[in-house]
Amino acid sequence: MSKRDSQTDVPQDATTPTTEDAGLSIGRRGFLAGSAAAVSAATVLPNLKTAKAQDGSPVKIGFIEDESGNLSVYGIQKLHAAQLAVKEINEGKTLKGGANIGTGGYGPLASYAANAPTISKEGVALDIVNAGGDMSGDATVFVEDDDVFVDSGDQGILGREVDLVSVDGQSNNALWQQLTRRLIQEDEVDVLVAGFASAEREAIRPIVDQFNQLYFYTNQYEGGVADANTFCTGPVCEQQVIPVVQYMVEKFGPRCYTIAADYNFGQLTAAWTKAFAPLVGGEIIGEEFVPLSVSEFSQVIARIQQAKPDWVMTLLVCQNHHNYYPQAAAAGLSYPMASTVNMAQGYEHKRFPPPSLNQMHNAIQYQLEVPTARNRAFVKRWMDMFPEDEYIGEMAQNTYFTVHMYAQAARLAGTTDQETVKRALELGWAIEAPEGAVFLEPGTHHCAHYIRLAVCDENHDVYFVREWPMIQAWWLQRLGVNLVRNPEYKQYVPDEDPFFSMFG
Amino acid sequence: MEEFGLVISVVYQFGTNAAFLLLCALGLIVILGMMNIINLAHGELMMMGAYTASLSYQAGLPFPVCVAVSFLVVGFVGAVFERLVVRRFYGRELSALVVTWGISLLLSQGTLMVFGPFLPSIPIPGGSLDVGAYSLSVYWLILIAVSIAVVVALAWLYNRTTFGLHARATMQDAAMARALGVNTGRIYMLTFSLGAGLAGFSGALLAPTASIMPFMGQQFVAPAFITVVVGGAANVIAGAVGSSVLLSLVRTPVGFYLGAFLGLVALLLAALIIIRLMPNGVSAALLRWSDRRAQSG
Repeated sequence: MSKRDSQTDVPQDATTPTTEDAGLSIGRRGFLAGSAAAVSAATVLPNLKTAKAQDGSPVKIGFIEDESGNLSVYGIQKLHAAQLAVKEINEGKTLKGGANIGTGGYGPLASYAANAPTISKEGVALDIVNAGGDMSGDATVFVEDDDVFVDSGDQGILGREVDLVSVDGQSNNALWQQLTRRLIQEDEVDVLVAGFASAEREAIRPIVDQFNQLYFYTNQYEGGVADANTFCTGPVCEQQVIPVVQYMVEKFGPRCYTIAADYNFGQLTAAWTKAFAPLVGGEIIGEEFVPLSVSEFSQVIARIQQAKPDWVMTLLVCQNHHNYYPQAAAAGLSYPMASTVNMAQGYEHKRFPPPSLNQMHNAIQYQLEVPTARNRAFVKRWMDMFPEDEYIGEMAQNTYFTVHMYAQAARLAGTTDQETVKRALELGWAIEAPEGAVFLEPGTHHCAHYIRLAVCDENHDVYFVREWPMIQAWWLQRLGVNLVRNPEYKQYVPDEDPFFSMFG
Repeated sequence: MEEFGLVISVVYQFGTNAAFLLLCALGLIVILGMMNIINLAHGELMMMGAYTASLSYQAGLPFPVCVAVSFLVVGFVGAVFERLVVRRFYGRELSALVVTWGISLLLSQGTLMVFGPFLPSIPIPGGSLDVGAYSLSVYWLILIAVSIAVVVALAWLYNRTTFGLHARATMQDAAMARALGVNTGRIYMLTFSLGAGLAGFSGALLAPTASIMPFMGQQFVAPAFITVVVGGAANVIAGAVGSSVLLSLVRTPVGFYLGAFLGLVALLLAALIIIRLMPNGVSAALLRWSDRRAQSG
């Protein structure tokens, strides 16, 4: 690709920064810095598409979720999240964040003082010479800054309006493939944000790769996707399974019985549970995979009672499987439960009468009840726009910050050219999401998340008992995946990691 | 005590498996078994029953009344469908299949648009009974009893009343029944309405054990068709009872000792083998068996 084409990707003012007046806003300055970075990126990147950016046509965000059919309960939430983010972007708003850096703030479990204490330079005893000020609080910080929702200094993305091209996948994988082709080839979207079920993602990923489409998958999932075109912004097994298993073993005892939905998500998450339980002193005494068509659970319940576990890992996904909770409660099953999916996604604690979900534990990165100021502000913005909505689940929040993250990366890149935006994202991206700080790790295209252990009580109120301010999505790193150096396009499964067979 | 609890638990599991199949099949026994309409909207009729029950429960009605309301409401809806659509497709099984499928899509998607993705669930009535290490849900014990009672009532209706006689005559030979003065149009409507009402009734009964969602009906469709088809057309009611008992006899021990997945496999395998060995269904085999016994006796 010629130098001429590369230059057309860059806004005019970026090449002539000296002519800008001195009174730049912070946002403006960030924008210019980004444009400058894009110049250097663009000049070294081969195969840039011819820019179609500067004619004022809208930036198109292709969006597929299930607005109807079996999975619509999640799809509609995610659609609303994208609509909210697009509206905010067009109104010149963004979340704090940027390439490589966070915005700083109190640690979530910090003790904090009016001023930071000063440490003596003498010796190694770390004597405090100035205590700073009175301790004004400790334990969980509820007064963290809510000032993460800020002006972007831009209208839309690079002055262009953002258009959400949203289509309905209807919970039908074949249709998902057609719609993906349509969005990429006919609508020529600048970015694709799509996918609830792993089956949907795997159905469309080959098409995404065929066209080198920039693609965000915003769901919590089983992990392992190493794809140079795909950015996974939801949490994965190592961020959720291990924390919750450790907590359950400490609190309730080692003996765990797993019941899981019989498809790739359930099978793989159960494999993680089985492999990591022994490391924290746990033991899987029974494991059962329930076909998705089963909706009557008296036999499963009897099998659990026969096994007498200390707690039950429930990895049940679809609407048929949600019937397990009221049925188990009615049958007098009162074992503590752990999960990586329930409450945070399908808000079962709001839908089923108490105490069906009593003692449900889930290591989540977000659910509506997260008790922070910034989340309350986010929930308020959402409910102002969608007053009828009942819940904001973790995937909806992921979709929300992902769309904002894309906008920031495109601003930094100075273009919506997809390869350039991918390179910008691969600088490593921090964003202050409603859940807390999220960091997009460049090598694996997965995000480090703020994880909280949510517990449901007998009245179905939710409280949080433990927090991990940042857990890396480290498994792909362990396997040596580095998409920046070695692009690949596959999904790794636990069988490819010898560790998993050690405890098989 | 441990042994005793185990035996009771397995019997209970058998009962719940059979009652589940029977409840799923109730409306379809009438609509597919008697009227020979492949009603793919069966699940959505059950869904409507669950929705009616949930809405009336929220309005403050006691649960048994909600179930009765569901029967009447869905029965009425069934009558409307019969008059407007289904009656144009009698004797054209495949056309009826496509039409009822279309109705099912309209109903489930329409429900999503009107009521959103969920309605609040109904708490499961009754508590639990402990038997040794196992516990039984009182509500499922009630469901087992109710499903038996409804099947008996249905058999009585069709074999002992004038309506039953006219209905059987109409289904066997509509022209002859008309010649004998039976208002066949009315019989068709009432029968379809009864089938729809029963679907609504069992939808309402199963509602507390389920998530009340627009697409919840799908989970009941396969068990319903398997039960009715394996039962056969010779005597639909006896057939459905026979097939649900036989299928649960296979499913329960496999499901309990080897897990839900193999339990489901066993059920489908059993259905396959039964249809292969008894192509006209369990009821035809039962009929042959009782004839032979009558002759030899």
